[in-house]
Amino acid sequence: MAERMIFTVNGKERTVEYEPEMMLIDVLRDVLNLTGTKHGCDNSTCGTCTVVMDGKAIKSCNTPAAKAAGTSVVTVEGLAKGTELHPVQKAISESGAVQCGFCTPGIVMELYGLLEANPDASETEMTNALNKHLCRCTGYEPIRDGALIAQKMIKETRK
Amino acid sequence: MKYKYVGHPYNRPDAISKVTGKAVYLDDVRLPDMLHAAVLRPQYAHALILKVDTSEAEKCPGVVKVVTGKDCKFRYGDNIKDLQPMAVTKVRYIGDPVAAVIADTAAHARAAMEKIKVDYKPLPVYTDARDAMAKDAALIHEDMDNYWRLPTLKQTSGTNIANTYHLKKGRGEEGFDEADVIIEHEFNYPLGSCSAIEPHGTIVWFKEDRTIEVWSTTICPFIIREDLAHSYEVPVSDVRVHTPDLGGCFGYKSDVTTEQTIAWIASFVPGRPVKWVGTREEDYTSTLLAHGMRTRMKMGAKKDGTLVAIKTTLYHTGGAYADTAVNVTIASTHNSTGPYEFKHCDLTGYTVYTNTPAVGAYRGYGHQESQIATERMMDLMARKLGMNPLDLRKKNFLSEGKVNAVGETMWKHNGNLLECATRVEKMIFGKPKPAEDDQYVYGRAMVTVMKSPKGAPFSTKGCYMKMNVDGSVNINMGGAEVGQGLRTVIKQVAAEALKIPPEQIRIYTEIDTQYSPYEWQTIGSMFTTQGGRAIIRAAEKLIAQLKNTAAQVLKTDVDYLEYGGDFVYLRNDPTIRVAVPDLARGYITNDGITIGELAQAVSDARLPRYSNPDQNGQGPIGVTYTMGSQGVDLKIEKKTGKVIVDHFYSVFDVGQVINPLQIRGSVLGGVMMSIGAALTEEIVFDKEGRITNPHLFKYHIPTYKEAPEQTIEFVETPDPIGPFGARGIGEHSVIGAAPSILNAIYDAIGVDLFEIPVTPEKVKAALEARKESK
Repeated sequence: MAERMIFTVNGKERTVEYEPEMMLIDVLRDVLNLTGTKHGCDNSTCGTCTVVMDGKAIKSCNTPAAKAAGTSVVTVEGLAKGTELHPVQKAISESGAVQCGFCTPGIVMELYGLLEANPDASETEMTNALNKHLCRCTGYEPIRDGALIAQKMIKETRK
Repeated sequence: MKYKYVGHPYNRPDAISKVTGKAVYLDDVRLPDMLHAAVLRPQYAHALILKVDTSEAEKCPGVVKVVTGKDCKFRYGDNIKDLQPMAVTKVRYIGDPVAAVIADTAAHARAAMEKIKVDYKPLPVYTDARDAMAKDAALIHEDMDNYWRLPTLKQTSGTNIANTYHLKKGRGEEGFDEADVIIEHEFNYPLGSCSAIEPHGTIVWFKEDRTIEVWSTTICPFIIREDLAHSYEVPVSDVRVHTPDLGGCFGYKSDVTTEQTIAWIASFVPGRPVKWVGTREEDYTSTLLAHGMRTRMKMGAKKDGTLVAIKTTLYHTGGAYADTAVNVTIASTHNSTGPYEFKHCDLTGYTVYTNTPAVGAYRGYGHQESQIATERMMDLMARKLGMNPLDLRKKNFLSEGKVNAVGETMWKHNGNLLECATRVEKMIFGKPKPAEDDQYVYGRAMVTVMKSPKGAPFSTKGCYMKMNVDGSVNINMGGAEVGQGLRTVIKQVAAEALKIPPEQIRIYTEIDTQYSPYEWQTIGSMFTTQGGRAIIRAAEKLIAQLKNTAAQVLKTDVDYLEYGGDFVYLRNDPTIRVAVPDLARGYITNDGITIGELAQAVSDARLPRYSNPDQNGQGPIGVTYTMGSQGVDLKIEKKTGKVIVDHFYSVFDVGQVINPLQIRGSVLGGVMMSIGAALTEEIVFDKEGRITNPHLFKYHIPTYKEAPEQTIEFVETPDPIGPFGARGIGEHSVIGAAPSILNAIYDAIGVDLFEIPVTPEKVKAALEARKESK
């Protein structure tokens, strides 16, 4: 491993060694063994590799690993506190938005990034965010339902 | 009928592991000392391999072994043994495995793979069945006559026709002499892809003790086990296949796909597991494609609208290997009548070798490919007869007493199609149609559809049930969870059958052929029906066992005992009873002596009287059908020709809804997929047989913004086979979208289209044609 960097992953500072051609997803999955972030395509189309970097949802399959140096990255493994799920996870798991679940980590992180930063996100903002994710199972309606429930839950906790 | 647990919404047990990122999919499996493989694909879709030079690749960093197909002596396949794990003398399609590199990391394997040099002699390329059937076409499988095949299959020697299936009912084509009106058209349902978000992947480990262990993205682990055992000459019991969590299947993970190739590669490094995960590009070029069907259909009717004869000829672009395509052709052929009775049928399906990836299963296969024709033909015939298209359909429904193409008599319990159609009619035509405006022109249409089961003589599903000391129950089955939500179904059916709350039932979470009860394949929308039947049979055995033990405890005959979920009790005096948990390990008396058996049961269920087709191509295929009706409100953007689906409607007679939350999700998703097929999805080849769009940004599957509103309802006419009256519904929702959309386009602009996808360019051209004819 030729390169070395320090960044925060799910609240914990990590020092990792990585190959220069690696993308952030490779560091997460193959170096840190955080396999919750998925590989669905090779050109940032499907969205299942989405993680949150410094508060913003990004696609980890086209983010060079080096770009993560010094940042704070949250992956799908970083949301639940023990058995207590994050509102986005709870809503998505109960709205029928999960079938095969392969797109789910990306959708959870997209909504987490959006709603934590802006709990009052408009319908257009939600739609634009979710349009970056491909789901082959659900026909999207239950994902929209889950997103709206999540937004409501997050708003209530902020009151 | 009202049930306590069946018919109520339950949350799926795997949702939590999936939202927390803890579900373990194939690519998440890591094994000790694991190696990685990369597979070289050819530059030509049809070529002789002259020379493979691996010397440069062998010198690359991290490389353990470079593998070719040289010396591979066996072929495999369940229907036709026409497959080889790696190309030996020639390549037949652009994704054929030519060679592979095994290395310490996937990146090293890929880098070394680029260094393999192959010399080819190109051969003529055919990407369409019609061209491959031409008289002077070069042979794709010169040795076809020597392949093993099922006794029901028949190749045409000296051609590229791998199989011809023919069905004759009544007087066949002669029956057209009874018709007053005859129409004939040709339709095309092109090659597509299941495009699950999780690509295919496989890990194979040839162990030092000569056993083989496999992990794969598959819903047929038992077939893989038998196949590998046969190829490598070990007992079936020495092959262990795991199915981890699956990121979608939709059909193309339901047959042996990449497993034999990865096994061949791994066999060169015994002792070490070898992992391969396909790129998205390989998922398109080197696994299974779907559809690829041209349907020529001739239909004859009496003046009053009674359908009398149908002739269908299917030209199936089956791909370079026909092992999996033959089933798609056969099902499309005998299902091409749709949900209508024809006195005379002459149905022919040609499975043709082409230089394209092999066609395999796709959600609903054997139905949408030819029923696009049937349902368009019904509208065209109605127009010719001057009838309302729905009235024509209603007049000919496969209702009670009618006989379908394969010769099965239909009963009331096969479902109330009339009710489904009537509801959809009201939803669509019960409101005024928007008038054409500056921007859009509007159209609407409806269709009725039928899906048959897909069986095989050994299509059994097993169930193992054990009761624990606290009365809770574990259930183990071999059904693969691909996202459809079968664990909830199992839980609810078992709860109903055992009369205990679903919270006390835990369903298996993975499939491992070492522990899992036998299951053929989790396909054909059959798990609820057949798996449910197996659960009920196991529950009945378990209850009988509990009663047997209780009879000894209560000193009475079994005949006088009732089972109530919490107690087994005397029918005439319920106060004389024993608690069910006390019977779970046998009953332990006060003096420590145990009587009775451990409370566990094994059972299975298959399709009733499934048989091979007879000399007329007929024969029972399993009795249980699901019928329904679908329709669409759409608009066409005049400037661009873009078709926008505003609202899609589906009503199916499913016998009994088991989980209302999940069944809606299943139909929502199926409709979305099929709208994709109708509007945007097509695998495109250039003249050399290369796929020009093997990426998700080029092969456009529907996105969030493209999802229409959907109205979904269910009719419940109980089925006598399925658990508590339930029928299959997993695939049915994909059948009606394409013909509905094409019929609605006619409604909008008066132009008949005969193929999908209806891209904006094609619709724009149709709009221009409309202007000219005006």
